[in-house]
Amino acid sequence: MSTQLDLTQIERRAFRSTYQDGLWDVYFGLIVISMAMFMFRPVGGYSPVNMILALSGFGLSYMIFWLGKKFITLPRMGQVKFGEARKKRKLTLMVILGAVVLIQVGFVLFQVFAWLTPNVRESLNGILLDRRLMDLVVAAIGALFIGPSMMLIAYFKDFPRGYYIAVMMMLAVFLMIYLNRPIYPIVIGGLIILPGLVLFVRFLQKYPLPRGESPHEHAG
Amino acid sequence: MSTPGRNANLSSLAEVDRLIHEPARLAVIALLYVVESADFIFLMNQTGLTWGNLSAHMSKLEEAGYIEVMKSFKGKRPNTMLRLTQAGRMAFQSYRQQMKRVLDGLPE
Repeated sequence: MSTQLDLTQIERRAFRSTYQDGLWDVYFGLIVISMAMFMFRPVGGYSPVNMILALSGFGLSYMIFWLGKKFITLPRMGQVKFGEARKKRKLTLMVILGAVVLIQVGFVLFQVFAWLTPNVRESLNGILLDRRLMDLVVAAIGALFIGPSMMLIAYFKDFPRGYYIAVMMMLAVFLMIYLNRPIYPIVIGGLIILPGLVLFVRFLQKYPLPRGESPHEHAG
Repeated sequence: MSTPGRNANLSSLAEVDRLIHEPARLAVIALLYVVESADFIFLMNQTGLTWGNLSAHMSKLEEAGYIEVMKSFKGKRPNTMLRLTQAGRMAFQSYRQQMKRVLDGLPE
């Protein structure tokens, strides 16, 4: 029935309008840049500095996102709560992502266990004699950890640009691990942030701060 | 008892809820129908209505009992959300059915 289709479109447009500010793009781009710090292996081996820089980067990314939504987006765009269907999708996403994370943790633990077992280690060393081949395998696994999860987020959050971000994230993780040079994920992070910034500027032009009466003074 | 010569399809148009039938109010109600609740600014941005226009339409819908104004505080700031009441939801559903019947009955 066409009327149903129209209502679906109205809801979808309203929902997707919440992505117009580009803040999600900026957030994911900054996450990619922070990940670069986390995965970069300095010549002298891993240092706690990597971890501190990465965690600070994740924290800062979220803070920028949260502050932007609270002080820039919401006053201009207004607030909305979506219906049950959206809540169900969000819950489903959380359950699936939870399962994906469990699988990933299980996989990592299995790897650790395998490397700690002498027989398995020897056979793995035999297979992955070449350092480049080993890096390639680890890079591919790392990319597969990130990409599908981001695609799930894009699908369940009805966020079309998320697919582009997922591909870019996969590429960033792959290049970071394989080539061990942070410049690649930093550039890719920038390529994710750039459309976000363009959208953000457009958003500011399209939605100026409402002037005059307070929104709370109408009706009732 | 039906009036001779009266077109039943067209006469049912006269029974359409005029409060909902007005385009601006229809846009507001359709939007509130598909979301749980929204504030004034969101409705204004989505419908393209001006502040005064939207305010006037909202007052009419509130008077009819079709929308509900929920006032609360987020920290120290007042937060006003609007949502469709059960009566508003039912009125919109019956409006849709009525319009569908009328429009489906028209020849191509």
